[in-house]
Amino acid sequence: MNDADLPLRGAPSAAPAAAREPVNVLIVGVGGQGVILVSKALAWLAQAHGFEVKQSEVHGMAKRGGSVFSHVRFGAQVWSPTIPRGEADVLVALEWAEGLRWLPYLKPDTGIFLADTKRIVPPFACLARRPGAPMRYSRETPAQVQEHVAEGYAIDATGMAEELGNERVSNVVLLGALSRALDFPEAQWERAVAEFVPKKTVAVNLEAFRQGREWIERSRLALPQAQAPAQPAASGSNCEVRLEITPGWCKSCDICVKLCPERCLRLNAERIAELAEPDKCTGCRLCEWLCPDFAIRVHLDPATAAAGEGQARP
Amino acid sequence: MNSIVDKAAAFDVRSWIRLEMMPHFLCPGCGHGMALRALLWALAELEADRDRLAVVSGIGCAGRLSAYVDANTFHVTHGRALAYATGLALARPDLTVVTILGDGDCLAIGGNHLIHACRRNLKITCLMLNNEVYGMTGGQVSPTTSAEMYTTTTPQGNAEPAFDACALAAAAGAGFVGREVTHHVPRLKELVKAGLSHPGFAFIEVLSDCTEIFGRKNELGSSAEMVMRQKSELRPSAYRDTVDTPFRPNQLPTGILSRNDRPEYGAAYRAAAAARRAGAAAMASAAGDPK
Repeated sequence: MNDADLPLRGAPSAAPAAAREPVNVLIVGVGGQGVILVSKALAWLAQAHGFEVKQSEVHGMAKRGGSVFSHVRFGAQVWSPTIPRGEADVLVALEWAEGLRWLPYLKPDTGIFLADTKRIVPPFACLARRPGAPMRYSRETPAQVQEHVAEGYAIDATGMAEELGNERVSNVVLLGALSRALDFPEAQWERAVAEFVPKKTVAVNLEAFRQGREWIERSRLALPQAQAPAQPAASGSNCEVRLEITPGWCKSCDICVKLCPERCLRLNAERIAELAEPDKCTGCRLCEWLCPDFAIRVHLDPATAAAGEGQARP
Repeated sequence: MNSIVDKAAAFDVRSWIRLEMMPHFLCPGCGHGMALRALLWALAELEADRDRLAVVSGIGCAGRLSAYVDANTFHVTHGRALAYATGLALARPDLTVVTILGDGDCLAIGGNHLIHACRRNLKITCLMLNNEVYGMTGGQVSPTTSAEMYTTTTPQGNAEPAFDACALAAAAGAGFVGREVTHHVPRLKELVKAGLSHPGFAFIEVLSDCTEIFGRKNELGSSAEMVMRQKSELRPSAYRDTVDTPFRPNQLPTGILSRNDRPEYGAAYRAAAAARRAGAAAMASAAGDPK
């Protein structure tokens, strides 16, 4: 297998690495996405090629949903296990904002940025729980980021993985994309994938790997890139929430009042449920679901259509 | 970011109930209303044909629920809902047959019907609403009343051990066995959907609250507190193996507890009957030939 004919623009080549500086690959993502698996496969592969490999990672404390990173350095001689700021040859991000968080570690002039456009919004970035409410999440579009990196790819790896039937193989899609930047033979990459993924999922993971590889090839032909999916801007397009309460059915059981996460309901003087604070209501539907008497119906109207009548009906 | 898809908006429970019978007769805060919503939601999401939907129920608070469903409903004698449903499902295999039973209706009065329905594995979805008490008749002890709980017939606390209905159904051979609490309405809906989609007998135990009779007798607090307790004490199975398991035991696992693919009785019966008829016809023509 000869894949050395397609080195990426500015790609670090494994051959010169044997002589001089180590190759630095930084893999970042959210806990549970498979950051460590990608770095393990890469480290295993590099070691099999006789390089000295150092890998260091944070895991465990980050747990599922936290920020996880893994440094992989390989070369003839590697002294430090961590990549200094501005020294990473490739930055692989399994989640969009995590990629942006680690951008300063990328080599300013030759670094390759490979990011999934998947957005995992942490709970504390949600400023309000209304649907469509603004979030404290990065608003940079792939096009904006592209201007700041030597070479950038925004790939909808999670979407590709979903089409393959298993969202969890998105990390291997990115590994496939990464495989284009480092010239190890394709067959050995596939062996590395098969080595580390669960045995039952080897077939789907290998397919994901090939799709990631092909995606990079296609997008290289289409340079300068315009293929990155547009990020939806986090605009404050709130829905109007309206509660339709049937007073004749309400039996004053108080469940909706006590279980409302926003505490925006109350029993009125006749002990009938009513929406006391319409501004707080997020339209989560918990009251509708838990009302044993079917007395509540939540309507989420588009903000433009129902600007004036977003009030509780008595 | 407008990617939030509000799938729940599509379902309005009022389009599935008989509005002229509302408000229903259940006490304030009764969990059965939530269970009925989950059932109707599951049917709506499966786009069930109401003209081919039969809801059969026995006697009791849970038995009353069939009267509120805007479909073909059948309110039958105490404990015998599964017997009627068996006849219905055998005679009309084109129907979706759902039974709604209470815990006493299902396990005490109709206990034998339950185990034999499980054994036959006929395509029926059986919802058992377990509120641990005979609510309608004044709060007597039922087969699922937890140990040491007070009812009108156990003034010193219940001395009998409670039935694990799901273990019973699984042991009797039910094709699909699941359990969920009423607090998690969307999860309960998903479970009922899985049960309705199962080709054989589906037994689903719904842990419901009797606030006015059982809750009051045992000082379990308001209906809101009882619903909250479902959340804190009966945590979803996914949490059972987490690190804090020793501090919060979940005695009753929820979710899909067992499923098997034993042959469905109705289909097997019809196939056998067709084979026998074909055999008899062949015999008759063979006997008629020599003349």
